[in-house]
Amino acid sequence: MSDKIGIYVCECGPNIASKVDIPKIMEEISKLEDFKDKELIIKNHKLLCSVAGKKFLEDEINENKLTHLICAACSPRDHDTTFINVCKKTQLNPYMYRIVNIREHCAWIYHDKDVATEKAIRYIHAGMDRVMYQNPLIEKQLDSIPDVLIIGAGIAGIETALTLASDKRKVFLVEKTNIIGGNSLELKKLLPKQGISLNGLKQKISDVKENENIKVYTNTEVESIVGFLGNFEVVLKNNDKTIELLTGAIVLANGFDLFDPKEIPEYNYSEKDNVFTSLEIEKMYTKDGKIILKSGKIPESVALVHCVGRKEVGYCSKICCNYMLKIANYLKEQSSNTKVIDLYKHMCLPNKNDQMFYDSTVEKEVDFIKVTDVSLKGTKVQYIGIDEAKKDLDVDMVILAPAMIPPKDTKNLAELLKIDTDELGFYKESHMKINPISANLDGIFFVGAGRAPIGISEAMIQAQAASGKILTQLIPGQKIIPEVMVSEILEAYCTGCKTCLDVCGFGAIYFDEDKGISIVNEAICRGCGNCVGSCPSGSIRTKHFTNPQLYQEIKEALR
Amino acid sequence: MNTFENVLIIGSGVAGMEASLMLSKAGKKVYLVEKLSLIGGKTIKNEETFPNMDCSTCLVAPIQQEILQDQKIDVMTVSTVQKVSGKAGNFKVTINKKARYVNIAACLGCGMCYPVCPVEQSNEWEENLINKKAIYVPCSGSLPNVPVIDADKCLRLNGSEECNLCVEACMFGAIDFTEKNETIEIEVGGIIVATGFDMLDVSEIENLGYKKYPGVYTAMEFERLFAANGPTEGKLTLRETEKIPESIAIIHCVGRKEVGYCSSICCMYSSKHAQFLKHKLPEAKIYNLYSDICVSDKTYQKFQKNVAKHSSKFIYRDDKSELEITQNDNKLKVSYQNNKGIQDAVTVDMVILANATVPSNDIELLTDVLQIEKDKFGFIDTQSFRIGSVVTSKPGIFVAGCAEGAKDLQSSVLQAEAAVSQILSMK
Repeated sequence: MSDKIGIYVCECGPNIASKVDIPKIMEEISKLEDFKDKELIIKNHKLLCSVAGKKFLEDEINENKLTHLICAACSPRDHDTTFINVCKKTQLNPYMYRIVNIREHCAWIYHDKDVATEKAIRYIHAGMDRVMYQNPLIEKQLDSIPDVLIIGAGIAGIETALTLASDKRKVFLVEKTNIIGGNSLELKKLLPKQGISLNGLKQKISDVKENENIKVYTNTEVESIVGFLGNFEVVLKNNDKTIELLTGAIVLANGFDLFDPKEIPEYNYSEKDNVFTSLEIEKMYTKDGKIILKSGKIPESVALVHCVGRKEVGYCSKICCNYMLKIANYLKEQSSNTKVIDLYKHMCLPNKNDQMFYDSTVEKEVDFIKVTDVSLKGTKVQYIGIDEAKKDLDVDMVILAPAMIPPKDTKNLAELLKIDTDELGFYKESHMKINPISANLDGIFFVGAGRAPIGISEAMIQAQAASGKILTQLIPGQKIIPEVMVSEILEAYCTGCKTCLDVCGFGAIYFDEDKGISIVNEAICRGCGNCVGSCPSGSIRTKHFTNPQLYQEIKEALR
Repeated sequence: MNTFENVLIIGSGVAGMEASLMLSKAGKKVYLVEKLSLIGGKTIKNEETFPNMDCSTCLVAPIQQEILQDQKIDVMTVSTVQKVSGKAGNFKVTINKKARYVNIAACLGCGMCYPVCPVEQSNEWEENLINKKAIYVPCSGSLPNVPVIDADKCLRLNGSEECNLCVEACMFGAIDFTEKNETIEIEVGGIIVATGFDMLDVSEIENLGYKKYPGVYTAMEFERLFAANGPTEGKLTLRETEKIPESIAIIHCVGRKEVGYCSSICCMYSSKHAQFLKHKLPEAKIYNLYSDICVSDKTYQKFQKNVAKHSSKFIYRDDKSELEITQNDNKLKVSYQNNKGIQDAVTVDMVILANATVPSNDIELLTDVLQIEKDKFGFIDTQSFRIGSVVTSKPGIFVAGCAEGAKDLQSSVLQAEAAVSQILSMK
């Protein structure tokens, strides 16, 4: 079939027509020396993006049996998709079309019509040169598995499992300890309006156990995971047993650890003293129903120390101020005579109900002292107040609020899955603001304290958010259409240097040891082109952005 | 038609847009109702977002474009929800779609119509820092890039037969005075409320001198003053005096006591404002007056510390004592009680008030229409004892973003994603 190139110049009403000389463009294009052997169809239209314009374009493609299409119109931001959709209605492969922007790049930026016209001709010529080197690309369709693997059976993992499990979607919930429920089970009480009551949590745990679409694996860890959205091969290890699973998505809900106060020399922290962490107090109160000193006595005076390790880790853990208020309340409900002194640096109460809780705690005669620094020797406290005065405080008990830090598992799981972590050791989000619980690889999500310290109600929201992502990305029975403009490695030129493996942000390239070359997994590749630029032997190209295509276009545009 | 396949989303900020796109991908028909003539919400009022200083337009414009091009999302601008009846799975919704008087399909957004309009009125979207015409887009870069005619102000629509200036200026015949307000009836299975927030009116707090002294700005006014597509194209000239400020005080927690909660985003945007100022006015003296610093996401503290190191002096002021702003010889004196309990002051050219985030002004009406409960602050209440905080008091109706309470961008997006899972799990 011989080439038949359609060039359609949009007038954009007067927007283009009044600023460039369209008849001249059409004439010049028809006389191009390097296209004299090609069949060109050159037409103009008042408004290609209008309903009439799109119909006109569709008819033109069909009637003329075009092999290549150029739309000289506006910014691709405005109407690239419009024209691609027109192509999709016809026999013309959309990758055999090119939009050329003669509005923003020509008509709108020059006072001199001749200059704008000359540039428009050059740009259209460049587009024509490029489109001749384009190749049809076909979208692939892959089967996908709707089932989901959740790692960690704390409150976030449980909520995700319950939101996702259905007759059409199995959930595998993996927990490395022997109990499900996570840290929340250690708590005596929850904060006001924390998104769930403790009874609600216990209900959810039994719901998980009873749900026939949720399979719980306790005492189990992940050994390996390979694959991509819709198709992950998972190997789990339970003691000596290995379990193999296929899932479509992975949710990481592996919780948090607490900063070790021993790392701060000024705290002289020792388990022998009456110095406790907040979680120890919660456990003690839950188990024994009281908060007592090592001697068994109820403390007469308690100092609460906020922000333990904040300086060291470099961030605020968000929930500590709130739970310290809760502990102050515990102490006052145990004995209203207990003197409670709360040494805080910045009272951080970011949720709408927090301030009320603070105000009600103040009413219970808890002393709040704003400090800039605290040091400890057992239960002898020394602090510097906001007024810069150094003061001593001798109490029976000290309770510390240590920073929340990423658990050790996070690093291992991130390495296993080839996903990114940030400089703090948390999972790194695909986009901090607009895609906050998705990993840089499709099909992998993190909930709970995975991306940053959060409380229970936010963990619940994140669990539901990850579920929302999975429910919209992995629909049972629906095929997955991977990126078409992917990279490919030319076997003959690949020297096996593995540079591309390092630069690929999506884990899409693997190394074939037998052949000694790198290979792109087209289902994972997003066509970013990092590997193309890095390849010292020039053996990689990205489809639809090949060197000849770019070179031809640039050569003409710069002429 | 099965109404479970249809979803109504009220409000087109980041939360409403995220929910719309996700539901459309899941095969739902989405009705996205927006009271303004443009979509995108308040994010697009900011030049850059904290803490990575991403350009807001670059963040949001691709999402806006995707929404407008999505065949399964019916975007209804200048529209409000008037009546809702029925129950989860089968709501009957009446939408009042106001006439835009400009045909969206015909208009290209060339902008020839508004310069010729003889009417001048204050531009609320630009925090009243500039005027607009009776036919206008709120700001350059509005999407959809199609103007709207203010029926209350347009001469033609108010009896003056002669005025035909915009019609004559439009080369596409897009202006249509015969357009009428429409009442549209739809049936949907679920509803997401994502109507966002407003900022506390600080003119009610007397000792701050807002609206009394021209150098006193609210945070949102400053955002627009700083924005390249704003009223001054980003030039930081003070109103009335036209002077470029040499010293600026940014006051945190304005109205916190009045509203009864911390708005959680002000410490960060105030730090961002200090950085903005330092970049544009490297010689300026910049002060942040705070009581407690609330920087509660993992990267926020680093950002704030960096601002404190390079851009602004952070001064503690005791919030037990009132702050007062007075003016003398065009200089603003900010008096406060310092860390030692002593009355102190800074004297500056400009004050930026980080005012509290409050429920949007139409929330009362909307909660009545939807018959859902509000909390004591006026935000939409959620059923915390049930399954998480996007579930309102009425089954089938969910809330996302700042309609539920003040929060940052990513928390809004997360609630939208959570609301989507609740809609898709409805049976």
